Amino acid sequence: MIVYRSIPRVQLISAVLWPSFLLAGIATSVFFVFLDPVRLFDYEGEAPLSRMAAYSLGFFLFWLLCVASSAATAYFMRPTGSAVSSDDGSA
Amino acid sequence: MSKAEVPSGVSVRFADDVERSLYAKREKVYPREVHGVFAALRVTAVAVLLGLFYGLCWLRWDGEQVLLFDLPQRKFHVFGWTLFPQDFPYLTFMLIIAALSLFLFTALAGRLFCGYACPQTVWTEVFLWIERKLEGDRQKQIKLDKSSWSRRKVFVKGAKHATWIVFSLWTGFTFVGYFTPITELGARLVVFDLGPWETFWGFFYGFATYGNAGWMREQVCIYMCPYARFQSAMFDQDTLVISYDKARGEPRGSRKKTLDHRTAGLGDCIDCTICVQVCPTGIDIREGLQYQCIACAACVDACDQVMERMNYPKGLIRYTTENAVAGAPIRVFRLRVIFYGLILFGLAVALGVSVGLRTPLALDVIRDRNALYRETSQGLVENVYTLKIINMDDASHRFRLSARGIDGVELLMEDATIEVGAGDVRSFPARLRADPHKLQKPSNQVVFALMTTDNPSLKIETEGRFLGPVPAR
Repeated sequence: MIVYRSIPRVQLISAVLWPSFLLAGIATSVFFVFLDPVRLFDYEGEAPLSRMAAYSLGFFLFWLLCVASSAATAYFMRPTGSAVSSDDGSA
Repeated sequence: MSKAEVPSGVSVRFADDVERSLYAKREKVYPREVHGVFAALRVTAVAVLLGLFYGLCWLRWDGEQVLLFDLPQRKFHVFGWTLFPQDFPYLTFMLIIAALSLFLFTALAGRLFCGYACPQTVWTEVFLWIERKLEGDRQKQIKLDKSSWSRRKVFVKGAKHATWIVFSLWTGFTFVGYFTPITELGARLVVFDLGPWETFWGFFYGFATYGNAGWMREQVCIYMCPYARFQSAMFDQDTLVISYDKARGEPRGSRKKTLDHRTAGLGDCIDCTICVQVCPTGIDIREGLQYQCIACAACVDACDQVMERMNYPKGLIRYTTENAVAGAPIRVFRLRVIFYGLILFGLAVALGVSVGLRTPLALDVIRDRNALYRETSQGLVENVYTLKIINMDDASHRFRLSARGIDGVELLMEDATIEVGAGDVRSFPARLRADPHKLQKPSNQVVFALMTTDNPSLKIETEGRFLGPVPAR
């Protein structure tokens, strides 16, 4: 098994940022297909955000969430306590 | 020499030295320029694909941009078709079909996509070309990188990055041009009047191009590409791969051209390492099939040239299958291929049928959120709505609306004629009026029916809620 600490840093960073980016893209598309941001605000009269702004902010929110989840996974993949020595030796 | 070009970032090699691998520096790959059949094929593919990317957005069809994902207007224009958010399932369908086609192609021909059509390959090819034009060939590039900073080095490197950046920014602009009409975008660009998000996404995509094609290159394939990791699951012994003919090539070794190498106990490989030098991912194909191999066939072209010069038969490294190398018969139609083909066919038929049966009409019912309901002077209960009619047809239509679901419910509209143009979205205010004694509950289901007056088969129904007072017992 590949252990967290034995992979190159670029790979680790890519593994957190990149799948999150893809998933955020999918989540944003699905979310805004069902929800028109302009309609979300229309009871206020004038929409405070343009659609482009809402899509973009939505995308970054989703990305942030996914990054948080991936980063937490990467963090918890680190071997704990006694596992460190055995994993380091056998990976 | 060949050892230096092999990237050292693969995890398993550092089992004995975990800490070092964390800081293991990537060794830069300097792909040597290559000419030949497959290189020509790739250049053609690059020209066609980039031509499409940079050109398609400027073409128009019936006054609309041929391909425009108009996000601000929530409309997609695809070759004269107008798609709305309601058509999202078709898009999903098409993506699934595209993925399955990739599976089928992979099972048959291996990583053709990677070597010729992947955006990463295509843009990297252009960036390498720019680099070669400005820095010179592989040897000159290596020498330049090793040399200390001189005025010339600053100039050459600066020119390269400036060209890359200009090209990337143009790429970013084109990218945004698929989401905002590009002629209008161009007109606003020259007067520096782009919206903040258009500017942002232009730079974002431009930066991604610059970073991925200029700096990351093969690392994208090795670390970031999911397809590179799972494509092996679609491979079998009959999949087309690039392979080094070990039986013919080994034992490798340098020799004089005039030497009869067979009697000297040598194989056909002269160990010139040119196959390694041309490899964009820096692997040695002679070590066997590796997941870093993007099947670009640069080594095939390079080795063929060497074989030609040595007067040996070509094809020491070639497109072949595992079975073919082993001398087994070649099978094209395997269970796997038939299976992928059948699913693909089924999905294509299903998509065709559902597009054929598509009702190019949608009705959104939006209840006024300011008031639950109001009572008229006649003691009737009234709810206010906005009815949004989306005409996805390519002709203008007139509509008639009605409501049912509550005894004696009456639909009142301010507009005498309800007409919506082709591919247009229009909102109409409407009121529903009902007798409170006919209401069983405070919240009732009503159905709005939209009919086209000039085409009775074109109709659609949408449910809505009608609110009233709590019925007196």
